[in-house]
Amino acid sequence: MTQTNRISAGGRIDRSRGLEFTFNGQRYQGFAGDTLASALLANGVDIVNRSFKYSRARGIVAAGAEEPNALVQLGARKDTQVPNVRATQQGLYNGLVARSTNGWPNVQRDVMSWVGKLGGNFMPPGFYYKTFMSPASMWMTYEKYIRMGAGLGRAPTESDPDIYDHMHHHCDVLVVGAGPAGLSAALSAARSGARVILCDEQEEMGGSLLDSRETLDDVAAVRWVEQTLTELGSMENVTLLPRTTANGYHDHNFVTLHERRTEHLADTASDAGFPGMPRARMHRVRATRVVLASGTHERPLVYANNDLPGNMVAGAVSTYIRRYGVVPGNSLVLSTSNDHAYRAALDWQEAGRKVVAIVDARANPEGDLVRQARDSGIRVITGSAVIEAKGTQRVSGARVSAVDLNHFVITGSIEDLECDTIASSGGYSPVVHLASHTGTRPQWDDKLLGFVPGEVKGLIAAGGVSGHYALEETLADGARAGRQAALDSGIESAEELALPATRKRRDGESCAIYQVPHEKKGLRVPKQFVDMQNDVTASAIELATREGFESIEHVKRYTALGFGTDQGKLGNINGMAIAARCLGRSIPEVGTTVFRPNYTPITFGAIVGRHCDELFDPKRYTALHQWHVENGAEFEDVGQWKRPWYFPHSANGKKESMHEAVARECLAVRQGVGILDASTLGKIDIQGPDAREFLGRVYTNKWAKLAPGRVRYGLMCKDDGMLMDDGTTSCLGDNHFLMTTTTGGAAGVLEWLEIWHQTEWPELQVYFNSVTDHWATMTVTGPDARKLMSEVTDIDLDREKFKFMDWKEGNVAGVPARVFRISFTGELAYEINVQANYAMQVWKTLFEHGEKYNLTPYGTETMHVLRAEKGLIIVGQDTDGSVTPEDLGMHWAIGYDKPFHWIGKRALSRPDTMRGDRKQLVGLKPKDPKVVLEEGAQIVLDPNESIPMSMMGHVTSSYYSPELDSGFALAVLKKGRERMGETVYLPMSDGKVHEAEVVSTVFIDPKGERQNV
Amino acid sequence: MSDVKEFQSRPTDTSRAESPLEWSLHEQKSLPHASNPGVILSEKPFMGQLILRGGAIVMDEAVREVMDMALPAKPLAVVSDDSGERSIQWLSPDEWLVIVPGGEEFELEQKLRQSLGQAHFSIVNVSGGQTLMSLKGSRAREVLMKSISYDVHPHAFPVGKGVSTTFAKATIIVRRTQEDGWELILRRSFADYCYRWLLDASREYGVSVTR
Repeated sequence: MTQTNRISAGGRIDRSRGLEFTFNGQRYQGFAGDTLASALLANGVDIVNRSFKYSRARGIVAAGAEEPNALVQLGARKDTQVPNVRATQQGLYNGLVARSTNGWPNVQRDVMSWVGKLGGNFMPPGFYYKTFMSPASMWMTYEKYIRMGAGLGRAPTESDPDIYDHMHHHCDVLVVGAGPAGLSAALSAARSGARVILCDEQEEMGGSLLDSRETLDDVAAVRWVEQTLTELGSMENVTLLPRTTANGYHDHNFVTLHERRTEHLADTASDAGFPGMPRARMHRVRATRVVLASGTHERPLVYANNDLPGNMVAGAVSTYIRRYGVVPGNSLVLSTSNDHAYRAALDWQEAGRKVVAIVDARANPEGDLVRQARDSGIRVITGSAVIEAKGTQRVSGARVSAVDLNHFVITGSIEDLECDTIASSGGYSPVVHLASHTGTRPQWDDKLLGFVPGEVKGLIAAGGVSGHYALEETLADGARAGRQAALDSGIESAEELALPATRKRRDGESCAIYQVPHEKKGLRVPKQFVDMQNDVTASAIELATREGFESIEHVKRYTALGFGTDQGKLGNINGMAIAARCLGRSIPEVGTTVFRPNYTPITFGAIVGRHCDELFDPKRYTALHQWHVENGAEFEDVGQWKRPWYFPHSANGKKESMHEAVARECLAVRQGVGILDASTLGKIDIQGPDAREFLGRVYTNKWAKLAPGRVRYGLMCKDDGMLMDDGTTSCLGDNHFLMTTTTGGAAGVLEWLEIWHQTEWPELQVYFNSVTDHWATMTVTGPDARKLMSEVTDIDLDREKFKFMDWKEGNVAGVPARVFRISFTGELAYEINVQANYAMQVWKTLFEHGEKYNLTPYGTETMHVLRAEKGLIIVGQDTDGSVTPEDLGMHWAIGYDKPFHWIGKRALSRPDTMRGDRKQLVGLKPKDPKVVLEEGAQIVLDPNESIPMSMMGHVTSSYYSPELDSGFALAVLKKGRERMGETVYLPMSDGKVHEAEVVSTVFIDPKGERQNV
Repeated sequence: MSDVKEFQSRPTDTSRAESPLEWSLHEQKSLPHASNPGVILSEKPFMGQLILRGGAIVMDEAVREVMDMALPAKPLAVVSDDSGERSIQWLSPDEWLVIVPGGEEFELEQKLRQSLGQAHFSIVNVSGGQTLMSLKGSRAREVLMKSISYDVHPHAFPVGKGVSTTFAKATIIVRRTQEDGWELILRRSFADYCYRWLLDASREYGVSVTR
């Protein structure tokens, strides 16, 4: 197929570089420099989509981000699918494959079209909700088919082969938009020495200058663009970001930009010849000042059948002709409210195609461009508008009539003009989206007939977005804004920019026209579309106001005006104007809806950046990790740590199950000796003359008399009296302590200590430092622990000299170590701390000597079983933030008579924490020893009670004990300590009811003799 | 201050020591080696590292006396001695990080304690808990821009500056002790994550790792 609409010269495309692409299965050719949209138009493709709700044929309307119809599904392969790409923003590349987003099974004859045709008049706002709501249970089924037909793009079903990343920036001045205002702003700021970032969403920087008819310094405006970009590009203080859309404006001038890095080159970065390069990048910019030079979107007029392919906004027609060398039709009718749009007709005529007429809503248009059109022999019909487009698959004519805008009626007779393209312009809407993201409401300007940005601290709007449409004014406004922004950012002086000379042009006043009256009224008018992407018509807005929706926010939600990826770029102002007319109010009284980030759709990949796969979250490793891996450990996530869970043995190709491995590890500790990597426990070094006093205030128990060389277990409560952490603290010197915390609680406890010190007790002389990572910790435990230790250490291990809850220093395996006699297993235990860089050699030496004792490495699962057999709690497993030390039966660890009021003390005397029927920690022994109760299982006293049963508590920890050869559990139970020996019941979801006896929490060695040997 | 238990945690024979990046480098088998690297990473393992806490005036006097160096006078500053081997970095209003060649740290701690006498202070040896990574190359700054939100432009981050900041999803100390390179201080348990992140962020610029 030839490019029937391509003209032989002109435009910024490279005709020597042809590109092939496929759209809806059909192959086409385009040129380098095309967008997918310009290439489709060049090939005469009229229908690019079916509409969302009515399934009407739709063509390309605009040339930029505001395009409502040409949404495509991009990607040649399953894994490269990208939904909802605007064809107008997609640079063409060789081999590009795209399909219409909407139009299953195809856009030419659409299975949903009966809905639009038959149901057209019966699909008012809320149609789907009203029609498919009952029975409610069927909605899921309806929705599936409605979505398949209506279509909103399809998520890829395979994992994305590309990567995306983030980059952080700081700058003095961020300029958004590289049209005339943005370029002069950037140049002005950059020459002052400010750090400048200039971003622009299009394939090429230059904005409106790229298709301008005007000259700067008497040469084509694009020359000035090239010059300016060359200068900016050579400056060390300037970062140019083309193909980069400013998508979100957040608090304190934090702006997120989305840069297309290889998206315009090929499906994937590898296909583009840049393997490993991020396909898109999110720039996170913190700017001291922002110059918003986002320009305007032209407003189409709202006339009947204005959505037929062949209806376009006037400026887009100029853009396609002048920038891409594409005339998107043969005969044009232009309907306008202003002078500027006349360019479309002039460009069209100069391209050698026929301009049927310009239909101007003003009675006496008389600007320079109007005169030029008349001089060129173009027929200008005044005081009139196109009231309806005719045609089925493409425009075949325009119905034109004189209109009385004050009374919203047509006057006189209707003339039918033959044409295949209707361009329209109802004026220009400043692109206020970014300024509105901050929550600031845009302000209506009566003279401009548009909303301009409201005041945003740190933001200066320049050029079109602030209502400066003439090129001379736009350039000057940009230069002023750039200079001001640089000065405001703290640059000391900035010179005024010398601007290129423009040719003076006189423009006539515009008139206010949004919806065009029609000879029919109400629902009998053929559809007049306001928001094409969401299929919102003028009559739908009328209906919404009649049904009582008066707030524009309610109108929006009832009709879907400006929803989703569209964000009301073309339709919002027209919609508000229609609502205003129906409600008899002014547009500023009706106001705007809130624009939200992102300005255009952004791929999830770019939001995620590199925080995925192996970099999704930090994995923290101990110094002994390599040994664990080499010795077949299975790992468990504890917070971000990777801890060995258990070490399964393999023999004859058969690997132990977890149950088997844990049973073996448990018995090894109870009968021989085991070793645990406990390095992940939090460790805090505490120094200062008030260290001891401080401990007394943050722990519930007493610290006044703990002597150097001794260790004590402590409980830490929040101020509500609930247990928050526990661990041992050792007295290293009178003014020096080493606190241990739970693995997960380490950072929180250090913060807790700092908060109390800094805000409540700054007079206490004490310092805290995390030493978690400095020390590696290994626990050697079991009846044979002493024998093994005696082989590798110079510390005197005599039971009288090195007692339970003592610590000593010495060498272990030739490395200086602190050794603590604390036990989390109930057996004789030595906890060895060595500097982490030397941990591996100590660990390995222990195994060299441990072979004869069958030294057995064990993981967290065995640790859990062993500690539970001893009734030792794990904070966060046996407690949940609602458990006091008293509930745990730890009255012995609470120093009610300490002189200073410690954290949580007051809360422990509240009536609620003292009431007798609180849940208390108990042991549970299932009557059937083969049963291992489910953790979380609810406890009841009467298994036959009708539902809802009285829930008396629940299981917190439950395991099989190899030593007891029975299941056992810890649980919290109301009045648990009074119920020793009673039988309780645990109903399960499968209907079974387990029986268990309430017992002591200590299942093994109740007198604690084994750890004291 | 007295009644603090000093502890020499470094053995006389350090030949079998393993740095925090041992596991990562071991896992990698062969180190990345680009022909024209934009980024060059190398670990400086086994440095002596102390955290000093205390009043700035007494601490300044002590380090002048013991190290013949002054405390950094400004927040976010890092100073080095003439050899570049020893440095002191401001971490918070009463907190400094001292880095010295491995093996010097214990004697330094003892001397500082002696010099500080009965003042209220703390000195904590963290040599095993963190490691130093040098980040050099023409694209080093871009790698940092991908990793931390702090402004690393030379105007905002001159030589002699150092900050603690978030690095991807971890925390890190970043400092510029020389014109042509950066130093990162990675916490031991996060070192593998940070290293993988750095390699990933450097890939498009070409990266070499040296030991």
